[in-house]
Amino acid sequence: MSEFFNQYFDFTVMFDHFDEVLDGFLKNLMVFLVAAVLALIWGLILALIRQLPGKKFMPLRGLTIAYIDVFRAVPILIVILLISGSLPFLEFLPKSIRIPQWFGQPDPYWYGVMALTLVYGAYMAEVYRAGIEAVPGGQVEAARSLGMSHGQAMRHVVVPQAVTKIPAPMLNELISLLKDTTLVGVIALGEAVLIGREIQSETFNSSAYVLAGVMFLVITLPMARLVDYLIKRNRGKITRGSHIEVA
Amino acid sequence: MAEPMVRLQGICKRFGELEVLKGVDVDIAKGEVVCILGPSGSGKSTMLRCVNLLEPPEEGEIYIEGRDICKGPGSGTGEQSWELDFVRQRVGIVFQQFNLFPHKTALENVTLAQETVLGRSKQEARAKATELLERVGLGDKLNQYPEMLSGGQQQRVAIARALAMDPHVMLFDEVTSALDPELVKEVLDTMRELAEEGMTMIVVTHEIGFAREVADRVVFMDGGVIVEEGPPAEVLESPREERTQKFLGLVLDH
Repeated sequence: MSEFFNQYFDFTVMFDHFDEVLDGFLKNLMVFLVAAVLALIWGLILALIRQLPGKKFMPLRGLTIAYIDVFRAVPILIVILLISGSLPFLEFLPKSIRIPQWFGQPDPYWYGVMALTLVYGAYMAEVYRAGIEAVPGGQVEAARSLGMSHGQAMRHVVVPQAVTKIPAPMLNELISLLKDTTLVGVIALGEAVLIGREIQSETFNSSAYVLAGVMFLVITLPMARLVDYLIKRNRGKITRGSHIEVA
Repeated sequence: MAEPMVRLQGICKRFGELEVLKGVDVDIAKGEVVCILGPSGSGKSTMLRCVNLLEPPEEGEIYIEGRDICKGPGSGTGEQSWELDFVRQRVGIVFQQFNLFPHKTALENVTLAQETVLGRSKQEARAKATELLERVGLGDKLNQYPEMLSGGQQQRVAIARALAMDPHVMLFDEVTSALDPELVKEVLDTMRELAEEGMTMIVVTHEIGFAREVADRVVFMDGGVIVEEGPPAEVLESPREERTQKFLGLVLDH
């Protein structure tokens, strides 16, 4: 039994390598923060394209749906490897895009951010869509009857209501995104899990993994609690925004 | 006679297999108040929604102030046609379910389209909205959100919201049907005042009393066609058609 404890909870290993693992985890957080912001924006753009009305936009809508379907269905690891494996060799692109080193971050960092944005943009688009579809059709009718264009109706009436309906599913996606930043270790970004592997192969001991896992828990557990709280609060508020008379 | 404000000619509308309107012709003069009566499923709401192209008709012509709004490429489809702007600038509509914007206060509900569509300044829009909300008796509710208002108050905000766009015609789509009985009167009173001020109004309603008192003309619809029309005294007191008699018998019998 003590072997078990030593393998996973060797505090000497944890203590000796704490700074390295934390350093790695901060890289996870850095990937997460930038990819989250970009995915939230990219997802909204995709969701809005999907809502464009009329025959004229049918090809664009079709493309968007195909994009969302494909990127939700493909393993993220493949996307990461596709980008990092061949983007550097696409000579027709400028070097700053092929081997990006913006804001002092190394290229694996940006390949990871790109891949996660592409994939999570698709996930976020689905979350936004759920929110948009939860806004009653009468809202668009009212806005359009007042002379607003489709774009104005989306901007002033639909999207502001849609985003109040989706914080819980959105947070769930963000939790997944944070965990998936560990995949970027595969292309040699020194994030927490990759650091953990190095320590494991040095010490033949998994305590550094446990330490990394605990760091993730510190962030993700409160997020998961927040999701529950938001769902509960939303349930109490179900009449807000509905058209049922609440005299 | 002067040009009608609204003219519908041979309007047909289908939802899939279901033929909802089977050739509707009607003229509405400037300043006229027309009440549309009829059993549910008779097509009266659909006809109303055709007038502002919320439901573009498949066949027939709609003229607003003499201009055919179902003409030209992409017409009536609700896609980037000039007709849509033309119609929405002249025709206001109030819905059964109010459809107020729940994330905006009463005042903001009335200012939003003034600013985004008509390009009015914030002050201008606010002044207009305040005036209109006072007119419908809600001067003390400017900063309330819809969920804090009763159904009757919400519906009066919706009327003010439509009026803020300076419409030439107002459409009312069963605006009292979702209200508790004691709240119906305040909405009808607001509409009565509007009629007295000379607004052109097309009112789909089940309120026979309102039709009798306020309407210049009553139109009775059934099965997607106009069965009978005329002054309220005639149509409501001594209807010629059997279907009208039957309907009024059912409605007035309680």
